[in-house]
Amino acid sequence: MRSDHLKLSRRRFLQNFAFASTAITTGVGSWVIRPEWANAAEGPIKVGIATDLTGPIAYAGNADANTAKMVVKEINDAGGLLGRPIELFIEDTASNESVAVGNVRKLIQRDKVDLVLGGITSSMRNAIKDPIVARGKTLYIYPQLYEGKECTPYLFCTGPTPAQQCDEFIPWLIKNGGKRFALPSANYVWPHTLNVYARNVIEANGGEVIFEEYYPLDQVDFSATVNRIISNKVDVVFNTVIPPGVGPFFKQLYEAGFLKNGGRLSCVYYDENTLNINQANEIEGLASCLDYFKALTKDDPVSAKIQAAYEKDFPGNFLFAAGSAATGTYRGLKLWAAAVKEAGKIDRESVAAALDHAKIAEGPGGPAEMVPGKRHCKMNMYTAVAKGGVYDIVARSSGLVDPKEC
Amino acid sequence: MASAFVAAFEILSFGAIIVLVVLGLGIIASMMGIFNFAQGEFVLLGAYVTYLAYSHGIPVWVGMAAAPFLVGALGFVLEALIIRRFYAAPIVAMLGTYALGLIIRECVRGLIGGLYLSVPEPIGGSIDLGSVHISAWRFTIIVVTILVIIGCYLLLSRTTFGLRVRATLENPALARASGISTAAMYGTTFAFGAALAGLAGALLVPVFSLFADLGIRFLIQGFVAVMVGGVGSFIGPVAGAAVIGTLSAALPWVMAPVIADILVFVLAIVFIKFRPQGLLSGKGV
Repeated sequence: MRSDHLKLSRRRFLQNFAFASTAITTGVGSWVIRPEWANAAEGPIKVGIATDLTGPIAYAGNADANTAKMVVKEINDAGGLLGRPIELFIEDTASNESVAVGNVRKLIQRDKVDLVLGGITSSMRNAIKDPIVARGKTLYIYPQLYEGKECTPYLFCTGPTPAQQCDEFIPWLIKNGGKRFALPSANYVWPHTLNVYARNVIEANGGEVIFEEYYPLDQVDFSATVNRIISNKVDVVFNTVIPPGVGPFFKQLYEAGFLKNGGRLSCVYYDENTLNINQANEIEGLASCLDYFKALTKDDPVSAKIQAAYEKDFPGNFLFAAGSAATGTYRGLKLWAAAVKEAGKIDRESVAAALDHAKIAEGPGGPAEMVPGKRHCKMNMYTAVAKGGVYDIVARSSGLVDPKEC
Repeated sequence: MASAFVAAFEILSFGAIIVLVVLGLGIIASMMGIFNFAQGEFVLLGAYVTYLAYSHGIPVWVGMAAAPFLVGALGFVLEALIIRRFYAAPIVAMLGTYALGLIIRECVRGLIGGLYLSVPEPIGGSIDLGSVHISAWRFTIIVVTILVIIGCYLLLSRTTFGLRVRATLENPALARASGISTAAMYGTTFAFGAALAGLAGALLVPVFSLFADLGIRFLIQGFVAVMVGGVGSFIGPVAGAAVIGTLSAALPWVMAPVIADILVFVLAIVFIKFRPQGLLSGKGV
């Protein structure tokens, strides 16, 4: 045995302690991206991004950080804001709320940022909003699609809400699927709250909910659920089961003949990232409703330009996709930039007042504008269907869709 | 009737999946007294090897056949480099293997970019029996699981190798005195356990898709199965896995899935309270 090697000498302990405390104080997950020019008299405007660079949803967090880098570079190249460059501070929230709160405090207290944008899950938003908005007295933009009902002052949401994802999508599903809905769901806040809204829309449009059922987040066997769906002759599966369960769930549905019998899959967080979870034939015809799909680049030159710029700077695994909040991040930063320009200064009150009615003419999927007094964002919504492993846009909103929040 | 048949098949197939995952874990725990927290990551590596083969255009079944050998070889190396130092301290071994698992898992996460990736099954589609559809691949998994159990049982009970492994487990000092190299036996047993995990991962990946937390998902269930079945024999953990796997798949048919998930663990704890030695403690091979 080598137990003599394991003995902890005092010197060894001090060495380790010194290393660990250095790592803790300097931080292991901080990145600062300084502008190339910083000769302005007042110094740069500081933007903090707090997102999940590591952990299970790192693919989304990295895409958001990349998007922020792209937008900030674009603003700096065009002369900055108010004649000042933007300095970007990126902190890792590590898919872990207690780590996140510590790192967000660093952004607020050490770096003294003028804006924090980030958080992907609702639990992350709830964990970091108080350190940012209440104690930190800083502006916060939350970029992800979510369950709604977030009406905290100085907290602005730039992702789609249940109203935006359901109001036009569910009537489309009833027309192109059927009236009998099943709502299989993961057991956490987003599916619970979204389902309440979805159920109302389904029933208001003459559909019926056959069952609404919740599963543990790590459940991977759905044979009982699939059997209920098949034996009750469900027409539309409105899914809010999340990975890792969603892959085996769709596969079991496919194997049980759900698609063969004319069933329609739908899932409102499905974007280009999640397409790879299953083989293309297992989710043929899956419908999703989001503010952006890559398929839009074919007929929208603005989306095509943004998508191309992103892919040029960041080729690889982290896709520019709506479900990972990348489009919400783009929209959030651009709206904020417009607000800063209008306000002419960067204190929280003035920027929040201008952001309250900020508009952008160009963004992924089209223009966007904040609804005054609501701190939520109007945007175009698109319904897309997966065909042979790629999305095909089948319906689009006639204009900007109201978030109907707050 | 049709629905009862489907239910029975689905429950059996999930039971088979859990048994497959627990086989290697049980062998390492029973034969070596090591609770290997990196076992889930060996499952993950088996899945990753299969994905690698597929993404390089090699037929999936070739990847599946190679996975147990590659993961087994890695297990052999890791035993010689790391695990060997832990035999005297089982608690430290748990922490050590946990750390090892963490390293493997985060490496794989980096390699696949944290995404969920699908791997097609070599035998796809469903077997249609009238109005009933059952998954061809799940059926294959059941068959392979049965074959692997029979193979392992014969290997341990009927061969000289099995005799040496059991002798090393029973009384290492006497085994050494009789000319058995216990160090080599431990190395081989660990590699064999790792290889079984690699096989499990290879067969599972078409069902659950490849993601970094694939192994963790089954680790807790695996340990509960080993406790319920009883440490000390080959057949104990297998029986425990069959019970736990069947319960996990069967309970959601009759109650809310959120409750079923917890109930499995409650039942297991109650069972262990009244029968701490497990279902089949130390009996048979």
